[in-house]
Amino acid sequence: MKLIFAGILAGLITTTAAKADEMVFTSWGGTTQEAQTKSWAEPFAASSGIKVLQDGPTDYGKLKAMVDAKNVTWDVVDVEMDFAIKAAKDGLLEPIDFAVVPKADLDPRFSNENAVGSFYYSFVLAWNKGAVAGEPAGWADMFDTKKFPGKRTFYKWSAPGVIEIALLADGVPADKLYPLDLDRAFKKLDTIKSDIVWWGGGAESQQLIASGEAAFGQLWNGRVFALEKDGADVGVSWNQNLTAADVLVVPKGAKNKDAAMKFLATATSPTGQAKFAEASGYAPINTKAKAEMPADVVKGLPDAHIDGQINLDMNYWAEHRDEIATRWYAWQAK
Amino acid sequence: MSVEAQQGIASKRIPAGLGGLLPALTLIGLFFVVPVLALLLRSVTDPAPGLQNYAALLGDGTYARVFFNTFLVAAVVTIVTVLVAFPVAWMLAIMPPALASVLFGIIILSMWTNLLTRTYAWMVLLQRTGVINRALMGAGIIDQPLPLINNLTGVTIGMVYIMLPFMILPLVGTLRAIDPMTLRAAALCGASPLAAFRRILLPLSLPGIAAGGLMVFVMSLGYFVTPALLGGTSNMMLAEMIAQMIQSLLNWGLGSAAAFILLVVTMALYALQIRLVGARRAAGGA
Repeated sequence: MKLIFAGILAGLITTTAAKADEMVFTSWGGTTQEAQTKSWAEPFAASSGIKVLQDGPTDYGKLKAMVDAKNVTWDVVDVEMDFAIKAAKDGLLEPIDFAVVPKADLDPRFSNENAVGSFYYSFVLAWNKGAVAGEPAGWADMFDTKKFPGKRTFYKWSAPGVIEIALLADGVPADKLYPLDLDRAFKKLDTIKSDIVWWGGGAESQQLIASGEAAFGQLWNGRVFALEKDGADVGVSWNQNLTAADVLVVPKGAKNKDAAMKFLATATSPTGQAKFAEASGYAPINTKAKAEMPADVVKGLPDAHIDGQINLDMNYWAEHRDEIATRWYAWQAK
Repeated sequence: MSVEAQQGIASKRIPAGLGGLLPALTLIGLFFVVPVLALLLRSVTDPAPGLQNYAALLGDGTYARVFFNTFLVAAVVTIVTVLVAFPVAWMLAIMPPALASVLFGIIILSMWTNLLTRTYAWMVLLQRTGVINRALMGAGIIDQPLPLINNLTGVTIGMVYIMLPFMILPLVGTLRAIDPMTLRAAALCGASPLAAFRRILLPLSLPGIAAGGLMVFVMSLGYFVTPALLGGTSNMMLAEMIAQMIQSLLNWGLGSAAAFILLVVTMALYALQIRLVGARRAAGGA
């Protein structure tokens, strides 16, 4: 009896001890989070002794609820950058401790006081070679239903990307995109509305293109990369590819803040970024990472296509997120 | 449990009256009434005190459209579900019990399969390059793929499939309670099968249809996954819009107001159901 009691007590002590050395990482699930686990969480746990528990998918409503209720169970969260800027303004995020997270080599486009880059990606034009005659050369071709008939797929949610694509296709020069002319963008989108199939998540976009359900579409480059790796017959145009980023943030009042900062240091390190990029096809946000990557992987990254590349303006979006979203969903529901 | 203890509980329960309900009432109060009040409160205080969230919802064409869509989809789904469920329920009610229980098993089994899996299965079947369109085109029946998905058709097919058990089960109960002799009597009196159905079977089974139909309608009002995956953006339903407001726009005041309106409508329908078919049936009793 005594022995059992002692055993239980020992068990209790070890679990409490383990608790102190744990933290929770939340991301979007699927292949992206798997790559993050392998490239960041596992090496970090091995070197620091801090166990990283995985949760997901990222849910902005949940994040806000946790901070409001002062019961924050997520320590590091992968979010879209425009959300991070808005969330920082709303007081939902901890500042990043740059004494712990080395800042010197981080791409300044994708880091700020409350967020460090997770990875960056480009929206590219991809198509199913079996379903499209010829080669679409750029965004304007997605709006040309005579030359390129068939369904086209776009990102469903109100987010940087589709509005800009419509404006570029309508002839707006890349350096005159912002402030966004929403009237003009929606007017352009109206011309192909009945031919649009929306994708809500990465897997759906791959399924639509691979099956030919949609002949072409606006996809995340990492998803096209994965399709090519699987041997799908897809074409891709990097012409005017649009960059955006996911960033890592620490919610205000996170319980394991110190562990979280150390985790960020590992995740944004050249090695962590190189490994993740290799696994996912997304680009590293640490400028030293490419030196550690195989040459053929570097070739497939958005970095290799900076000619004509356009950076989506996250600050503009953070500022106008709500008003654009309201119009976006109203237009979709029409 | 000893006999004595059982008697103890029984004798306590009866004279205690409302006092015995206290634990249950506390539970409902804590986990249902309080959150609903909090929701209501948020809808009139966030971002500022006042009714502006309700004004925005009721005064805006987009939201009106979404409300209309929600009721349209729920109504279409309910009608189609009743039409499909009735023959199945009638068959189950009159077939030998052993065979009927096997079929019941199959129907219930479908309810245990994950909702998302079932919805994705429909996507594979219904899309332009899906099984149904390929087969029809292969057989030369159509030249162009039928638009079966990302529209009202897709939502209706997917949701009717999910709702069928909720309609069939109460309906079988009602149909089994109907004395088959009434139909025979009708036939003996010279009624055609159609007349017997219209004047005997249908009126007698109306309570079951009403109970099942209202349940399906109310459940459909709040459906999220299936319309999101099988419908297009122009058929957006209220639940999806609320999710957008809460998760993406972080506009909790507006989301709460929309959720509260949905709740009020649902409660009103439930009250109607109690009026029509009696509280016991409404609560699921046969």
